Amino acid sequence: MNSAATSAPVTSAPITSAPITSAPTTSATKTLSAISCRRLSKVYGASETAVHALRGIDLDIPLGGLSMLVGPSGCGKTTLISVLAGILDKTAGDCVVLGQDMGNLSAPQKTRWRRDQVGFVFQSFHLMPTLTAVENAAIPLLIQGVGRSKALAGAAAMLNRVGLGHRLSSLPGELSGGQQQRVAIARALVHSPRLVVCDEPTSALDHETGQQIMLLLREVANEGDRALVVVTHDSRIFEYADLIAQMDDGRVTEIRQGIAAAAPGPL
Amino acid sequence: MKFSSRWVIPAVALVGIGVMVYTVAMGDTNYPVNKPMAEPPRSEFTETLAGAGLVEPLSQNIAVATAVPGVVEQLWVAAGSHVSKGDRLFSIDSRSLAAECLMRESAVDVASARLAETQVELAEAREKLAKVSHLSDARAVSKEEVSLRTRAVEAALARIGTAKAALAQARAAVAQSRVELDRLVVKAPGDGEVLQLNIRVGEQVSPGQQLAPLIFGDTRQLHLRVDIDEAEAWRFKAGVPAVAHLKGNAAVEIPLEYVRTEPLVIPKHSLTGESTERVDTRVLQVVYLLKPSPARVHVGEQMDVFIQAEPRPVAKENSPRGRSS
Amino acid sequence: MYSVALKMLTGDRLKYFGLIAGIAFAAMLIVQQASILVGLTRQTGAFIRDTAQADLWVMDPQVRFSQDQVPLRSTVLQRVRGTDGVDWAVPLYQGFNRGHMPDGTSFTLILVGIDDATMIGAPPQMELGKFADLRRDKAIFIDGDTAATKLMMKRGGGRAIRLGDRFTINDQEVVATGAYRGRESFFWEPVIYTTYSRALTLSSSDHNTMSFVLVKIRPGQDIRAVQKNLVDRTGLKVLTNDQFIDVTADYILKATGILVNFGLAVILGVVIGSLVAGQTFYNFTLDNLRHYGALKAMGVSDGTLARMVWLQAGTVAVLGYGIGVGMGSIIGWGLRAGGLAFSMPWQIPAFAFASIISVCALAAWLSLRRVFKLEPAVVFRG
Repeated sequence: MNSAATSAPVTSAPITSAPITSAPTTSATKTLSAISCRRLSKVYGASETAVHALRGIDLDIPLGGLSMLVGPSGCGKTTLISVLAGILDKTAGDCVVLGQDMGNLSAPQKTRWRRDQVGFVFQSFHLMPTLTAVENAAIPLLIQGVGRSKALAGAAAMLNRVGLGHRLSSLPGELSGGQQQRVAIARALVHSPRLVVCDEPTSALDHETGQQIMLLLREVANEGDRALVVVTHDSRIFEYADLIAQMDDGRVTEIRQGIAAAAPGPL
Repeated sequence: MKFSSRWVIPAVALVGIGVMVYTVAMGDTNYPVNKPMAEPPRSEFTETLAGAGLVEPLSQNIAVATAVPGVVEQLWVAAGSHVSKGDRLFSIDSRSLAAECLMRESAVDVASARLAETQVELAEAREKLAKVSHLSDARAVSKEEVSLRTRAVEAALARIGTAKAALAQARAAVAQSRVELDRLVVKAPGDGEVLQLNIRVGEQVSPGQQLAPLIFGDTRQLHLRVDIDEAEAWRFKAGVPAVAHLKGNAAVEIPLEYVRTEPLVIPKHSLTGESTERVDTRVLQVVYLLKPSPARVHVGEQMDVFIQAEPRPVAKENSPRGRSS
Repeated sequence: MYSVALKMLTGDRLKYFGLIAGIAFAAMLIVQQASILVGLTRQTGAFIRDTAQADLWVMDPQVRFSQDQVPLRSTVLQRVRGTDGVDWAVPLYQGFNRGHMPDGTSFTLILVGIDDATMIGAPPQMELGKFADLRRDKAIFIDGDTAATKLMMKRGGGRAIRLGDRFTINDQEVVATGAYRGRESFFWEPVIYTTYSRALTLSSSDHNTMSFVLVKIRPGQDIRAVQKNLVDRTGLKVLTNDQFIDVTADYILKATGILVNFGLAVILGVVIGSLVAGQTFYNFTLDNLRHYGALKAMGVSDGTLARMVWLQAGTVAVLGYGIGVGMGSIIGWGLRAGGLAFSMPWQIPAFAFASIISVCALAAWLSLRRVFKLEPAVVFRG
């Protein structure tokens, strides 16, 4: 709440300059781009002790694909994904996500926007240990205020979809790591968000399970009309990406097409 | 989480609240307030002067005493006997006095015999004198002889006088004995009732003993002697309405008629019947007559008395009040 | 989301039971200590409550509590009877005396002498015998509930005094002709009833022996006005039943240090219970902080989070409270069965509820501060 209030005046100035640099891609943003960042910067703290986590990010991520943010730890990829998902406020620059200028949203609006538009997959799953798989998966619907039985039905369908239809009432502690991540993915998708952010989805899993999870995410990405943004430093899963943004020291150093982009897809 | 175990804690909590509510509702062991066993005495007057009264006979209690010490010989009355003035109550052993009386009576006989003797002697002397005094011849008897015989008559007369006096003395002695015998019989000092009898035949009595042999009183009408605290005495006025209540049955109310006020204020004398009370207060004693009432009242009974009182000074009074009785 | 909140709470049995137990312990401590204090306070007024047939008590100004022995002059009774607004007045004797049981056991007793005729001041109920039995020769009443412990013959008798037994008070013989039932007294000494005049005979004192005058006011009279009249008239202390109960409780509780001891116990109960409950709940929230972070990231508003935490706090408060007061009540039954003081008016559970709720509210508020301060971005850091 506080960060939103203090950052509001800072962000107002760059917005006016944003159209100038983003002019060539404006039409693409409207139709194709899920995420469009221009000179996006994020500073933690102030004056001497300030940490510049993002130092002017220019990035376009298209709708309907799986994009990866890669780079060494401390390069700012987690900060970037936080800003993109509407969790952190940017310090300066321009950031339009799913057609919504993030600088224009108040904190409660951002919360509501996240609720409706974003699905999350976390590195450590963040499943509630006291809730069953289906209850965990139903949480985003419950947050939206969907009725309990309807929410549970939706969650069960989604668990079926990720291949866990037989473990609906298991507690997370009774599931393997891969199964837990599948529950997390079901949770991220259950309310049909248009942006799914995945933070190191495979780092807590062994190689094979990670590959299976990535296959699942790839499948989801192939359905189109949805942007998957995966943060990772695991080069073994780069092959699943349509687009890879290499980051270092708060900047995007390289954007390259992934292997998957060559394959026939919705693009 | 299974359905059954999920509800265990709420169920236990519900039971706990139930137990608490029950405990609160039961509260402490409580008891209803007792009704008094008997109605306590209440005053009907707006302004009341309360006192403690003691029932006494019209004559007050008369502790009948004996004038002479001795052993009780005979009893003519029992406790509760109604007697008239002069009736015998009891007598003291009279044997020694009776014997003395007999002796004195015989002394009277001796004296009267002696008197008869002297009268005979006089007759004889007079006869002897007549024989000579009628003789005309003076020579027949000597003058000396005549005078001698005259003296003899005079002497006989004198002896009669002595004998008469002796008889009177003996009679007086008998009379004295009779009076003393009479004193051994104690008689009723007036009409009334024997209230208490503390002697039995064979017991020793003596004048001035602690416990009166017999308590007697005129109970045709009863008086009530009321003690009024000296601090309250100023509120008392002769002749105002007053009532007495029986102890233990305050519903019985006996009207009182003013008789007199004892002129001397005396130290309070235990009316609670106990001797342990310290005399720390002086009381004004007022005597009332108990008006006829169907209730039985006994001599010596304590009563609660309410007397209509003078209102207290206006300065202390919040509102002036009328009186009722 | 509220079902999620409740599942978060009840899912971890250990923490859930710990929370409930902590709060139950606090509630029990508060209820029990406060009830004992109230019970003791009530016991100090037991004699006055048992003798409450009248409205006012007239006593010497030096009397500090109901068992204090400062006698009055007997003429005071008449003066009281002659006071405006007095319906009736009867004397009452009360004092500590020494008795000897048949086997020689010596004991101290509280002798109460009630008005012979009206028996005003009599104990509330008879367990054995009738009130009229007090009029029999040498009659006294013993307490039927406590005789077994308080009138035990310890020097060979091997049993308690019971009906028909003869013993002595100040070397004068008395006979137990009845057993009454009354409120539990604060004083250990057995209370023995007899008539006023017999009490005067039995009491060893050689001075005035009237302890109190019990006064009933006339119907419709203002009790305060009559009280003032009596004070003006007699110069003595005149108290209503409630005032006398308060004065007695005040004196005894202060003189014995009970107030300080049990007051401290109640405060400690509140403080320790609060700390335990508050700390447990706070820890519970901290343990769940990462989940709150995830929920925040997923778009749960601060308001919803607050309601979730309030719901959790309220649930544990109500459940813990219910179990705690239940346990406290049951312990109270045990105490009462053992003859100890325990009295729980509704104010005590209400006070306990208020304390528990406020403690949980405080804990919830402290927890919420942490939740609100939480950056949802933490969910991306490991």
